[in-house]
Amino acid sequence: MKTIIYTCPYVPAEWIAAHHLMPSRVIPQAADETGPLGRAEGVCPYVQSFINEVTMDKQAAGVVITTVCDQMRRASDILQCDIPVFLMNVPNTWQSLGVQRLYIDELKRLGRFLIGLGGKSPSDDVLAEIMLKYDTARTSILAAGGYLPARQHAETIAAFGRDGPPEIPKNTTGLDLLIEGVPLAIVGGPLMRQDFDIFDIAEQAGGRIVLDATETGERGMCPPFDRRRLHEEPLMELANAYFGGIQDASRRPNSELYKWLKRRLNERNVRGIIFHRYVWCDMWHAELQRLKDWTDLPVLDIDTAGDNETRLHRAANRIRAFLEMLQ
Amino acid sequence: MSNVPKRITLEEWDIQYERLQQAGIGQPDYGGPLSRHLEDGNQRLLKLRYDNSAAALRLWNFLLTEEDRLHDARVKGKKLVGTMKDLGTVPVMAYSFDNLVAFYPDGAWWIPCVMELGAGLLSIADSLGIDESFCPVRAMLGAFVTGAHFPIPDRLICSVGATCDDFSAIAQRLNSLGHPILWWEIPHRRKAEPDEVAVNLPGGFSVPKDQVEFVKSELERVKTALEELAGEQLDEKKLSAGIKKANQVRRYLAELRRLAFTAELCPIPALEMLIAEMLAIHFCSDRQETIEVLKELLSEVKARVQAGVGVLDAEAAKIFWVNPVADLYVMNLLEDCDGRICGTEYLFTHALDEIPEKLPPVEALARMALADPMVGSSVQRAQRICADICRFGSEAVLISRIPGASHCALEGRVISEIVQDKFNIPVLEIEVPPVIDSMRPTVRTRLEALVETIKARRKK
Repeated sequence: MKTIIYTCPYVPAEWIAAHHLMPSRVIPQAADETGPLGRAEGVCPYVQSFINEVTMDKQAAGVVITTVCDQMRRASDILQCDIPVFLMNVPNTWQSLGVQRLYIDELKRLGRFLIGLGGKSPSDDVLAEIMLKYDTARTSILAAGGYLPARQHAETIAAFGRDGPPEIPKNTTGLDLLIEGVPLAIVGGPLMRQDFDIFDIAEQAGGRIVLDATETGERGMCPPFDRRRLHEEPLMELANAYFGGIQDASRRPNSELYKWLKRRLNERNVRGIIFHRYVWCDMWHAELQRLKDWTDLPVLDIDTAGDNETRLHRAANRIRAFLEMLQ
Repeated sequence: MSNVPKRITLEEWDIQYERLQQAGIGQPDYGGPLSRHLEDGNQRLLKLRYDNSAAALRLWNFLLTEEDRLHDARVKGKKLVGTMKDLGTVPVMAYSFDNLVAFYPDGAWWIPCVMELGAGLLSIADSLGIDESFCPVRAMLGAFVTGAHFPIPDRLICSVGATCDDFSAIAQRLNSLGHPILWWEIPHRRKAEPDEVAVNLPGGFSVPKDQVEFVKSELERVKTALEELAGEQLDEKKLSAGIKKANQVRRYLAELRRLAFTAELCPIPALEMLIAEMLAIHFCSDRQETIEVLKELLSEVKARVQAGVGVLDAEAAKIFWVNPVADLYVMNLLEDCDGRICGTEYLFTHALDEIPEKLPPVEALARMALADPMVGSSVQRAQRICADICRFGSEAVLISRIPGASHCALEGRVISEIVQDKFNIPVLEIEVPPVIDSMRPTVRTRLEALVETIKARRKK
């Protein structure tokens, strides 16, 4: 089966899968200066790494990029690869019917792109069936959250994005709810592969990440589908869950992101927030001070310019010091 | 024509001002000697070189009295609309109402330059978590906090979507500080696919009809909000009249640009041209006066071209400038290095192209909004630049990076590659902070190198 790669959470994997293609959400390896962009001043390290990953990918049949962030939008200008690129307009505003319609129209346009790559136009029944499968897997993965070590849980979510629903759903029967360690949240944009070390670092320092509010974590997963609507109007329900349900710093206004956070921070008794951002990511950087003003919880800023030893040591030291203060 | 054209200092302008007074040259009510603006803390004026014509004096005075005009408008009961990011679209609509005045709070990005950081706006932005890794437009946040530069608008309207992340993030921060914003969506401009109907835009690009329809619906939302604010309906006749007025400004600018960029001797300095072009965005808060200011400037330029006189050496290197500069002084510096502007793309070409007058007016504005260079790909932006290089005979391209701006990180290399492939001319990228003084030797050296390269190529 042909693979379609993407990274933005607003790209519904179910829609690609329903076209008989394999959706695979990329979590890139941090790029160094030997990548296609070389030393690029001002470029977000995540964008740079994504470009690197796509350029090196020799298996994918197509790549979907969205307009959610400006640098990613512009990445489509400079991608010099053999893979066909689809740039999907995902509106930043969300309150009007017009933008919701635009999102659905873009899904339909994406559908035509997928058919052009050998995909098949899905019937409502096929789409609904796939949505159910993904929804069940998502629910099971989210439910496992409190029972798995934070890194393992984050990697499970990543594997779901990369490979689709597992054949055997995660079974947490018999596992004990994890209660040790200072409960923390990690908030921010997407993580790269190296960034998953943060979960271990926090754990080794006496913390436990109970809320992964990064784009690659729980925050990047759409809420459960309405089962009735799923059967009646599956595409509408898909759009509603993804476009209406995933909260991000890029939305205008992005007040819903704070509502989403507030609820989960309270539910999970979070005592501190690790704020993870990339240098040159304006969308998340601008939220840092606002988050600090908004919450009574201590917030630790981990900014990263990409992958190097110094970065890791610096982050580790800061997280340890942060947890010393919280314990 | 006033006198022998040349670039003069602020001190020399005081003397020139006396001469003009004695010659009985009339001035509008906001007129006066330029040096009086130093009292407002505009210290950068001391470092600039200005065109010595009465038309330029009027242009500068018009620019530097905008805040007074906004305060006056409020006193007179007019409603103020702060339009953000779209650079030219919403003001055309706002000025079609009798009692609305629109301006761009984004324009605060020049305050740190003009006041040589004296206003402390960037420090305020720092304190709000918007540090120097963001575009200098972050000064806008400081201006809202102090309230010392422009009156806080009665309504804020901001375009988002296919815009730069810096501005979107800063506007959201402003929103979180308690300033409500009406957001409207501008989608990334794309080409029509085979099964879609294509629609032409001002400036030469085309989009699917659906995109125009979508933007039209977004602008209808904006129109409704403005009608509520103004307390009057905006019918097609009024909006069409507003578009005609905007086009009058655009036609004057088109002629000014043609003459300034193609005359054998450069008839008007780069700095005055930059300011003149900027008037197209929101008419410096007085549409009719913008028309008068440009009319006088055009008349001066025409007279100079006819007389075969100019402000720069005939051999000056012809350079196409991409992106506006955060420090106005750099436009002087280019000319000090024997360069001359022959073509510009200051991120608002859509505010310079004429708006179609035969279409329903909201649709015409939607097409204009979609023609915004920021809304499309960097490849299309480069294509537009290439077309203008052909028109104006530019010998090199200078891409002025805006510090921290999300679009500058990647677009420079795209524009550079396309321009070099097509014309094989030099392309140079420099970064211009709000006050360039500490970097002046470096920037000067780079500009000199570009000019030398151009001149060396002429000999081959």
